[in-house]
Amino acid sequence: MPMPMPTPAPTSQLDIAADLLTLLRDSTTEPRPDSRLEALTLAVAADLPVLLWGEPGIGKTAALTQLATALDLPLTTVIASVHEPSDFSGLPVIGDDPATQGVPMAPPDWAVRLVRAGRGLLFLDELSTAPPAVQAALLRLVLERRIGALRLPPGVRIVAAANPRSSAADGWELSPPLANRFVHLQWTHDHEVVVRGLGGTWPRATLPRLDPGKLPEAVNFARRAVCGLLAARPTLVHRLPSDETRRGGPWPSPRSWDMTLSLIAFATAAGSDRDVLSLLVRGTVGDGPGLELLAGLDRLDLPDPEDVLADPEGAVLPERGDLRQAVLDAVVAAVRARPDRARWDSAWAVLARALETGAPDLVVVPATTLASLRQQDWDVPATVERLAGTVALSRRADRAAVASEARR
Amino acid sequence: MSTNAPGEVSAGIRENVSAGIAEDPHTSGEGGGLDRDKLFAARLHAARVRPYLATALFALHTVESPEVPTMAVDRHWRCYVSPAFVDRTPVEELAGVWVHEVSHLLRDHHGRGDRVARERGLTGVGDRLRMNIAADCEINDDVYGDGLVRPRGAVRPGRLRLPEGQLMEEYLSGISLGPLTLDLSWLDCGSGADGLERAWDLGPEGADGLSEQERDAVRFRVAQGIRARPGDTPRGWRRWAEEAFHPPQPWRELLGAALRAAVSGAGAGDDYSYGRPSRRSAGVPGAVLPSLRRRPPRVCVIIDTSGSVSDEELGSALLEVAAISRAVGGRRDLVHVLSCDAAAGVVRPLCRAEGIPLVGGGGTDLRAGFEKALRSRPRPDVVVALTDGQTPWPSTRPPCRTVVGLFSRPGMSRARRENNPEYVPRLPPAWARVVEIGSASTAR
Repeated sequence: MPMPMPTPAPTSQLDIAADLLTLLRDSTTEPRPDSRLEALTLAVAADLPVLLWGEPGIGKTAALTQLATALDLPLTTVIASVHEPSDFSGLPVIGDDPATQGVPMAPPDWAVRLVRAGRGLLFLDELSTAPPAVQAALLRLVLERRIGALRLPPGVRIVAAANPRSSAADGWELSPPLANRFVHLQWTHDHEVVVRGLGGTWPRATLPRLDPGKLPEAVNFARRAVCGLLAARPTLVHRLPSDETRRGGPWPSPRSWDMTLSLIAFATAAGSDRDVLSLLVRGTVGDGPGLELLAGLDRLDLPDPEDVLADPEGAVLPERGDLRQAVLDAVVAAVRARPDRARWDSAWAVLARALETGAPDLVVVPATTLASLRQQDWDVPATVERLAGTVALSRRADRAAVASEARR
Repeated sequence: MSTNAPGEVSAGIRENVSAGIAEDPHTSGEGGGLDRDKLFAARLHAARVRPYLATALFALHTVESPEVPTMAVDRHWRCYVSPAFVDRTPVEELAGVWVHEVSHLLRDHHGRGDRVARERGLTGVGDRLRMNIAADCEINDDVYGDGLVRPRGAVRPGRLRLPEGQLMEEYLSGISLGPLTLDLSWLDCGSGADGLERAWDLGPEGADGLSEQERDAVRFRVAQGIRARPGDTPRGWRRWAEEAFHPPQPWRELLGAALRAAVSGAGAGDDYSYGRPSRRSAGVPGAVLPSLRRRPPRVCVIIDTSGSVSDEELGSALLEVAAISRAVGGRRDLVHVLSCDAAAGVVRPLCRAEGIPLVGGGGTDLRAGFEKALRSRPRPDVVVALTDGQTPWPSTRPPCRTVVGLFSRPGMSRARRENNPEYVPRLPPAWARVVEIGSASTAR
């Protein structure tokens, strides 16, 4: 017997809207390397306060949410600019007998919850639009991890965000002491990521994992890098920003160098690449000192000239021309420092190998210098023949110099 | 590799190594394809006459590409070379092309091109060609000479009836595609010059490109080399080295930030106090809440009216000060203006739009202006001095915050220095925050 079709219960407009919203939120993720997110994760893991600089609406909060999920920490967001100094330094509450008991500084509820949880990610948003008095109160929170009478447990990590000076029309700049306590990361949007994300596929960053086996080596490496630079360049230890354009940004001080040291160790232990390290180091001590440190690391990576001399045929010379020339110069300098017949011959073999595997113009200067190191009783090794081309090249450049003079 | 008999070469070299240099009279060509020896001889010559660019020249990775009209770079520091172009170009001109191409990368023309395209909404292929021409003008007006030959056909600003010594962004607005640029449309320095991807580009995934960090490291090392030896380098490169990692910001932002920091610091403007209870007190019985106390900041502007500052510059700087102090909560009647040359004028409120009579001319002594400004009642919270800096300064720090807006006069101070080697420019004192005005209003 045919049953009448059951009429569907009338669906309310709000239910339909909810369905539409579910469809809209239905998005997938794809793995995508993201050096900024990796840098942020490392800095948070190293327990250093991070400051994200970025235009409003750029996705700083979204990045924080992703980070909190990845580190499995509850996220607490506090908009700094709508709070008063006492919200961070504690509210004085007058009790029955202030003369004997004192006036306790009562912390706000979010701080109490954070301390009770014992762990969490504290996100201080809109730092640069907070008035100077609020910033001063935040200084204590960021540095001493104290809110009123409470002390934030070690499991709580702090991240702040600020709008750049150009877009914050009513903003205050960060005072140099506050700026010096943060790792500054520039947050910009990646056109491709936004378009793909709005199309339904957001990136999923694979977050760095620290390798327990690498820890001592990482600390050793970080100490060598920072101490090596600061021993050679004492003026880089402390340099307050003097220039208007650099105010409010990172600058070198013993405190920020200490932070840099931790960050290098963390990046090394996580096996992060140089781009991530570059973001972290330049965001902590500023561009100039940061780039000098990175240049020093590049030199640490180059092969040792003594190793190259010991095994000229097996040596791996860098592909990049400028680094290759640095290695060749170092090899010739090593021969000059301790000249003997075998080392001289070996250096010729290195140059011949460099000529066979790369651009010939790089070899000209080291070859000329090496030739000038010859001593009376040394015979010319057979490998020199392989370098004949460089001489022609050098000649040709000389002729070009003459021709240039003639055409003035 | 050389083609002559081995015995002969070895004898020749043995002889020459004994003399301190090895040499081979025969040129060795690869045969067909790219004449690498010619190309690298040119690079060697370029590195010899421009030692401060050697790091950058050597860091370029060369890629042979018959599709490229001449030589072109991409943003990953690869240099694409047309074998035919190398064949028909003399070595000394090739050296100029090397320096030209590496200059595009060092000066970040692709990044700046992208930025300009975004800011000005330039989307067409023609716009990118204009950018390439503008970038070429920026390079070609100061990198040649002094041992380096300008390659034939290199576009110079004069040809487009533009003045020399400007930046890419400035040239760009003066360039339109028309009769003057008709024969330049073959010009193509690649995506490294204007940011537009080319068909021959290997892209970010391709081999031997430099990562962003490596590119920065190379640029930094070159800039450091130039700063270490400022005497040997042309002015354009010195300017680049100073600004490579700290592009100048527009002075309006800097002046605004300095003024905002000055009026909002402790002791001026608004701050928290426990003087009166906060409006939030009612909700939290037992707690003592501070309230925000607002005291509008008083700003006194001292204007250097000596002959050297133009009315137009003054007008725009003054409007800026007024606008900023209003934005931080000041009232217009709390901004006072004082004109000052050798003697100080009268302190007047900036109430009316018609402005202030600026009297003066001749020499300047800002000490009189400071004295007068600090004696005025009520006392200013902030003193802003707008000057070209050719003045004596007060010997002690005034009891209020001081911002100095300095009108830059590079030409004038240089002329003075050249006429008088003993001349030391008078620098603003260390207690003032100094913002250079007019230095980077258009360029970034």
